[in-house]
Amino acid sequence: MTLAQALFMGLLQGATELFPVSSLGHAVLIPSLLKWSFKQSDPSFLPFLVLLHIGTATALLVLYRQEWVGIIRGFFAAAIRGQIQNDTERLSMLLLVGTIPAAILGVFLESKIKTLFASPSVAAAFLIVNGLLMIGFEVLRRRAERRTPVTASSRAEQEEHFAQAERISFRAAAIVGACQALAFLPGISRSGVTIGGGLLAGLRHQEAARFSFLLATPVILAAGVVEVPQLFSSGVPVGEYLAGAVLSGIAAYASARFLLRYFRSGRLDPYGIYCIAAGLVSLALLHFNL
Amino acid sequence: MKSTGLAIGLGVLGVVFLIIAVLYAFGVLQIAVSDPHASHHYTHTILFVVLAVASFVAANFARPKGTVYVTDRPRR
Repeated sequence: MTLAQALFMGLLQGATELFPVSSLGHAVLIPSLLKWSFKQSDPSFLPFLVLLHIGTATALLVLYRQEWVGIIRGFFAAAIRGQIQNDTERLSMLLLVGTIPAAILGVFLESKIKTLFASPSVAAAFLIVNGLLMIGFEVLRRRAERRTPVTASSRAEQEEHFAQAERISFRAAAIVGACQALAFLPGISRSGVTIGGGLLAGLRHQEAARFSFLLATPVILAAGVVEVPQLFSSGVPVGEYLAGAVLSGIAAYASARFLLRYFRSGRLDPYGIYCIAAGLVSLALLHFNL
Repeated sequence: MKSTGLAIGLGVLGVVFLIIAVLYAFGVLQIAVSDPHASHHYTHTILFVVLAVASFVAANFARPKGTVYVTDRPRR
C-alpha cells in the first residue's frame, strides 16, 4: 500500500465510520473497484483498518472528553456504592450493559467474520441491506411520531418529545449493544444499526447518535489494543499507516460534529437511499468487471 | 431486585469468569479460539475480565443495603 492509498483509506474510514453507511463496507469495496493492487486478504489489512478505527475512537474521545471523565467517575462511584444516583452514573452503567453483548459476539464470531470479510460482492450486498434497515428504522420511527399526541411546529420540536440517552432502559441498551455485532459484517453500519436501535427505544435522533458514538468508543479501542501489536510485528509500513490513522481521526471528528448538528432535525433516510444506490452500483461494477 | 442469594451467585460467577480469563491468558483453555496453536488468547482474556468486573458490579447492586429511614421533618 502506498502513502497516497493509506491516506485515502484513512480519509474514507474517518468520514464513513460515523455516518450510517458502513466504513468497513467502503473499505472493502473501494480498493476493489479502484483495482488497487494490495490484497484485502493480506494479514496486515485488518490491523490497518483497526489502526484507522483507533484514529476514529481517539476523535470520539476528544469530542466527548469531558463526558468520558464524568462517565468513568460515575461508573466507579455507582459500582462501589451499588446504587445509581444520577444520570451520568446511569449512562455509565448503560454503556457497560451495551458493550458486553457486542464484546461477546465480537470475540466468538471473529474468525467466521474474517472469512466473509475479503469479498467485495458480500460487502455490496450487505450495503443494500444496511440501506433497507435505515429506511425501515425511519418507517417505524414515523409511526411512533404519529402516535405522539402533541403537535409540534418544527422537526426539532417534534424531536424534543423523545427521550435523552440516559433514559433508555437497560434491556434496550443491551439490545442496541448487541446490534453493534452486526457491524462486523462488511456493509452493515455500526452507527446505523445503533442509531436505529436507539430510535426504536424512543430516543431523539441526536441522542441516539450520541449514545451510538459513546457505545462505539470502548469496543473500537479494545479491538485496536488487541490487533495493533500484529500490525507492528508483520513488517508493514507503519509510518504510512499512522498517517492514515491521523487523517482518519480528523475526518471522524469533523463527521461527528456534522452528524450531531444534522440529527437535531435530520433523519436516516438519505443515508439509506445512498447505501442502496452505492450497493447496487458496486454490484453492477463488480459483476461486469468494469 | 435485591437479594443476598443473587448477590452471592453473581459474585461466584465473577470468580468463575476471572478463572476463565486466567486460563485463556496462559493458553490452557482453547475453546472457540481462531488460532488453537497460540500460547495466549488476550482477546478472550480481556473479554472475561470485563465480564468478571460486570458480575462483581451487578453483585454489589443486588446486595441488600441497610435500610434508610426518611422523615418529613429534620430531627432536632
